[in-house]
Amino acid sequence: MSLFSSVRSLASTFFQRTRVNREMDDELRSHLQHRADDLQRAGISRAEAERRARLEFGGFERFKEEAREALGGRFIETLFQDFRFSLRSLRRTPGLTAFVVITLALGIGMVSGTFSMVDALIFRPYPVPHPSGIVTLVGTTHDSSFDDFSYREYLDLRDKTQSYDGVIANSEMKAVGFSSATANTPRVTGGMMVSGNYLHVLGVEPQLERGFRMEEDQVPGRDAVVVLGPEFWRREFGGDPLVVGRHVRLNGVDFTVIGVAPERFPGMYIFDHPDFYIPLAMAPVFSTDLQKNFFEDRDDRELRVSARLKPGATLQQAQNEIAVLAKNFESAYPKANHGRSAAVHTQFEMRTRADDSNWKFIVIFVGLALAVLLVACTNVAGLLLSRARARKREIAIRLSIGAGRFRLIRLLLTESLVLATLGGLGGVAIGYALVEWFQTFNQIVLMTDLPEVIPFQMDTRVLLATLSLSILSALICGLAPALQSTRVDLSNGIKSAEVDVPGPKRMWGRNVLVVAQVSISLMLLTAAFLMVRGFQHDLMNGTNFQKDHLLMTTFDPRLVQHNPAQTQQFYKLLTERLRDTPGVESVALTQNIPLGADHFDGVAFVPDGMELPHDRENFSCTMDTVDEGYFNTFAIPILRGRGFLESDTAETPRVAVVNEQFAKHYWPGQDAVGQHLHLDSREGTLVEIVGVAQAIKNQNATDFPMDFLYMPLAQHPLARMTLIVRTSDDPLQLVQPLKNVVRSLDPNLPMLDTRAYAEYYRNQAVEGPRIAMKIVGAMGLVGLLMAVAGLYGLIAYNVSRRTHEIGIRMALGAGRSEVLRLVMGKGLVLVGIGTALGLAMGFAVERLMNAMLFDAGGVDALAYAVVVPTLFVVTMLAAYIPARRASRIAPTEALRYE
Amino acid sequence: MPDQAQLLPGTLDLLILRAVSLGALHGYGILLRIQQISGGALLIEQGALYPGLFRLVRQGLLKPSWGTSENNRRAKFYELTVAGRKRLREETDTWNRLATAIASALGAQPEEV
Repeated sequence: MSLFSSVRSLASTFFQRTRVNREMDDELRSHLQHRADDLQRAGISRAEAERRARLEFGGFERFKEEAREALGGRFIETLFQDFRFSLRSLRRTPGLTAFVVITLALGIGMVSGTFSMVDALIFRPYPVPHPSGIVTLVGTTHDSSFDDFSYREYLDLRDKTQSYDGVIANSEMKAVGFSSATANTPRVTGGMMVSGNYLHVLGVEPQLERGFRMEEDQVPGRDAVVVLGPEFWRREFGGDPLVVGRHVRLNGVDFTVIGVAPERFPGMYIFDHPDFYIPLAMAPVFSTDLQKNFFEDRDDRELRVSARLKPGATLQQAQNEIAVLAKNFESAYPKANHGRSAAVHTQFEMRTRADDSNWKFIVIFVGLALAVLLVACTNVAGLLLSRARARKREIAIRLSIGAGRFRLIRLLLTESLVLATLGGLGGVAIGYALVEWFQTFNQIVLMTDLPEVIPFQMDTRVLLATLSLSILSALICGLAPALQSTRVDLSNGIKSAEVDVPGPKRMWGRNVLVVAQVSISLMLLTAAFLMVRGFQHDLMNGTNFQKDHLLMTTFDPRLVQHNPAQTQQFYKLLTERLRDTPGVESVALTQNIPLGADHFDGVAFVPDGMELPHDRENFSCTMDTVDEGYFNTFAIPILRGRGFLESDTAETPRVAVVNEQFAKHYWPGQDAVGQHLHLDSREGTLVEIVGVAQAIKNQNATDFPMDFLYMPLAQHPLARMTLIVRTSDDPLQLVQPLKNVVRSLDPNLPMLDTRAYAEYYRNQAVEGPRIAMKIVGAMGLVGLLMAVAGLYGLIAYNVSRRTHEIGIRMALGAGRSEVLRLVMGKGLVLVGIGTALGLAMGFAVERLMNAMLFDAGGVDALAYAVVVPTLFVVTMLAAYIPARRASRIAPTEALRYE
Repeated sequence: MPDQAQLLPGTLDLLILRAVSLGALHGYGILLRIQQISGGALLIEQGALYPGLFRLVRQGLLKPSWGTSENNRRAKFYELTVAGRKRLREETDTWNRLATAIASALGAQPEEV
């Protein structure tokens, strides 16, 4: 139903109702007139007759109400009435209303924001028709329950299973050098190799032209065809339909575009949205492992295999079938398949796999958000309860003039529904803001050229979940106050404000809640504060290397099928030519950049002449492979000995540089230069330490100094290396000269992640931890707000309960300040206990964080000096407002109804 | 009227149907008719009639229409529908059986047990 027509139908119900109302009035009045006529005939005056007729009739409004009820279909009208009434009565207490709405909005917003992540990571179905039929086939060994398959194994699975309407395979998304024309410098894009039947089995119809034909995936290297992803097609080709038939260059090979995947199919993975799909038969162009033969080796396992279950087939049948098949593999190929079985998993099972921590992390997040919402609801219930008590007389009067209890409960629930709806709207806004915020992590955390996205979004399912959550919270917060406040002894209710005194048990629960909120928010705020301070301390202490005026870019010559010799030749020529380029101060190659996203390799070694503890065979630390320009380019001081030289080559004795931490660790009080290491074991290759470099932060800005070892590239050749160029000017001005040099060496070789290092460093090393701090800080603030709401509600409730008592005290001569003290006393006790507990937890967290993250040492007094008084003042203010109201109670007013 | 009996729950509907079965009546007329046919033995709160009437209309047992009363006033008249007539028959049977059973139970003598 469109919005317009539903509004119209609602309106017509409404007008219909007013007509029925008028008729009912007419009918009842007609009854009174007839009765008065009879009475008048008995000799009574008209006025007296009418009066008596009305008396005999009984409660006019009540019967009208019941008659309307009997007529049925009154739901909408009552809802409207209640709704208007609620708005009116909520407007009378704007402060409380705003506070309740904000509290609920925060709770609901946090849940909907985090639920959008759970939805994206777990529940959102594959973007294909009938997604529930798609299952994933995995290999299982004793170390891995989610192993891939090799090409040969895929063919067997495809041809020897009966449970499926098609078995498909795909590689992971690979970095591919792409240029739209032969003359252009290649850029890095993400391509996925898929089996020829991939799109067809998934039920994905290309929006332009066609998908792969089966024969295009049969002969290795013959059919160079490509299907573009929808986003890539729009971004790269402006959505040009004439793209089909054009040639594009992938890793230096010409491919023909045969089609474009539809908009609603961004890819089967959560994070990876491939730029294009190529047939498995073209694997030689995309494989970076030159040791294995993709088409022949049964242990070259690079493929994820999925399948569409036949309509009648069950998952169990598929499981049994594949178990038998895996047994056959094991006996036919004992070498490649020893101890290897296989299993079939649904989408949900794949998304909630035990070896993936992302979803667990986020489920914990949702749990926390739900806890916040629950606390928010409890607090709101407390606030509404104190409000309901203040309205006790109003409710008692309503009950006594004939309002049904059910009707009143409904009215009060409508009120909390209005509150929850407002809170829900605010929650959706906060949820949107959260999702937007998560999206910005895209640029910060995923600093990559590959088409990876964080797919969190507020879709219909998330909105629906939010809506039902709002209604649920309305029930949770509203039901208890509504039930309690309508259970009134009428005559007492009207007479006095004091009707029932809740037992100590119920108050106890709320006291605990307030204490918990105060202490937890104190702990979180302290933690956030400590993180900010510790992190600043770390950043100020410096990372001990230069970050400005550096340009970085990464090469992988294997992408264009260079062999190791060609690769080393390429790097040699590249650095030589760059050194001669104007504006270049120095050039370096490194396997990993400091404070980058990739993890450093580990290296095992035995210091020469050192006695090893008998339970170990070697030591290990992290390492990097660098060339002779590295220390100079990053301005890392060599404290003793020398850095690497051009004269360190594959032919000369092996050398290494260690950091000062390493030197102190293994040769305390001695000179490490001149010492030797055996790589891997006591019998391993001998390496001489020729220099000691100053320690830098390698992996994280918050790291402690760690043992670290450098090897020269010339003696430890690698294919994938990152180039660092230092200039005196803006590093981005060097991009074009750099491109020219690369093109002169190999026009097909793509440059990955070309950036100014300073920008990369900021995003990678600074923004990431900053996000964590913001999250903890925001949670601390939310906790504080909850604590304030809880305390305020509790004290306000107490005041409303003791109005009468306070009136007597004041009548007997108690002054305002004494009343203030009486009421505040309770808040003070609760906040005091909460602060003490929070301090204890804060100290514990500080010790934990010092051990894990920061080397700040000792107790950060400033953190407590700021956080504790702030918390104290804010919470006491929450207690002060109702206490002040209590002290303003006029004794005559409070005692009037006695 | 000291010997008036309180109405048993659920019997008002039956009485309304019976009253209307003798001819279309408006609300006040129904009240008078019930008093008349029950010999004034039943106490009905006047207003309580209307929720009952509206309920029967909703169940499709009565059909309302506006008209002019004998006092020359505008009034809403009710008459039985076919379903209403059927219901009256059924309810009357049920009531009679129930009344007979209760009467015989209450009138039972010790030697009959």
